[in-house]
Amino acid sequence: MSDARKGHAGTKGWKPLRPWLFPLAIACLYLAGFLFAPEKAAEAARKSGIILRQIAVPIGVAIAMMVLLNRFLSPALAAKYLGKQSGMRGVAFSSLAGILSMGPVYAWYPLMTTLKEKGVSTFHLANFISCRSIKPVLIPVLLAYFGWLYSVTFLLANFIAALFVAGVVSLVLSSRKSKGASGNSLNQ
Amino acid sequence: MKIAIPSSASDLSGRVEQKLGAAAYLLVIETEDMTFEAVAGPAQSTGSGAGIQALSLVLNKGVDVVLVDHIAPHIAEVLESEGTAVIERVQGSVVDVVDAYMRARHPAAEQQSMEKETEQIASSITWVEALNKARRQFGVLLPMLLGVIFLLGLFQAFISQEMLLTFFSGSLHQDTILGALLGSVLAGNPVNSYVIGSTLLDSGVGLAAVTALMVAWVNVGIIQLPAEAASLGWGFTLVRNITGFAAAVITGVLLNVLLGAVP
Repeated sequence: MSDARKGHAGTKGWKPLRPWLFPLAIACLYLAGFLFAPEKAAEAARKSGIILRQIAVPIGVAIAMMVLLNRFLSPALAAKYLGKQSGMRGVAFSSLAGILSMGPVYAWYPLMTTLKEKGVSTFHLANFISCRSIKPVLIPVLLAYFGWLYSVTFLLANFIAALFVAGVVSLVLSSRKSKGASGNSLNQ
Repeated sequence: MKIAIPSSASDLSGRVEQKLGAAAYLLVIETEDMTFEAVAGPAQSTGSGAGIQALSLVLNKGVDVVLVDHIAPHIAEVLESEGTAVIERVQGSVVDVVDAYMRARHPAAEQQSMEKETEQIASSITWVEALNKARRQFGVLLPMLLGVIFLLGLFQAFISQEMLLTFFSGSLHQDTILGALLGSVLAGNPVNSYVIGSTLLDSGVGLAAVTALMVAWVNVGIIQLPAEAASLGWGFTLVRNITGFAAAVITGVLLNVLLGAVP
């Protein structure tokens, strides 16, 4: 079965416009900026252009990965390697993926959606995002600014913090889920 | 197996709506590979007789199970007489209720064989379908992504580094929280956080505040909240960012203590 929206209900009314409300609000801010501080607003637009160019490559990588995941990764396989029962192997995978991922986090949101739909656990999704604070390519810069003692402690603390955040997210969301499930009558 | 769920959204991120006839969408989910079809709910196209129209939709799609909060007895009766199981008082997100239903239906012993079956299904998705799915998944997030990028541009243009320095007072706790707050609002390459952090240290701001800023820089994204929520849901986003903020403050204080820089 395809997942095409055959009913096309979204084409009726204002619902298709809803995702554009946020960018529209930002456009209004720019409009106000151009009216009251045109130079700053132009600088903001220029900086946004730079960000767009910077994320082009990570976005391209993320989309390519999404296609590959859609093509080859089944929900069962995702659950096996990055699901709740994936154990230390899952922690290692999500940590390594987060550490090696490049570019800003928002470039990876589309891929996160794909992984979530495939059944990757909230722990590993949160761990992936948090482990992005450890950037191997930036370690020399960190060392240059803060010295080796602070840098090593900082990176280690970041890794522990990532696991802490992922653990709390997983715990809170699963407790919410079990509360919801207890209200359901699914055990028929 | 096909499961029908009245949903608030046209994808798996929605919540189970109270009634079949009043739902924005009717999701028909194939549980083997979690592909789905979103059909316009009757409420959007008709006023009266919505329940009957929903019934007709379910029967036409060959659905095996309907998961719903509430259903009129006469509708449930017809569905069950046609071999469609009806489960009521189902609440929560679509993904969660499908997951809960499948877990209840497939005890541990059957889980492995189910996994093997679903692993094989992946190969049945063609490259074109995979590409179309990725295009759709990216398309859903694109407006939010653009909004966030242009908001970041505004922040970078209107808030200068000198402006940041004026925020710190010299108090350990206040500055640590402020550092985490600034790191949560500011975004960009982490190198920028190192540069700002180093400048702040040179200006006399404490190590705890600088560390909190650098940890929060990557872990917390206030500006990116709408985009993250569109991707992973508001529940996940809020819990992750709040915990990330707390982790930034704790890390700042801990490093301050560990490295002997407590004033």
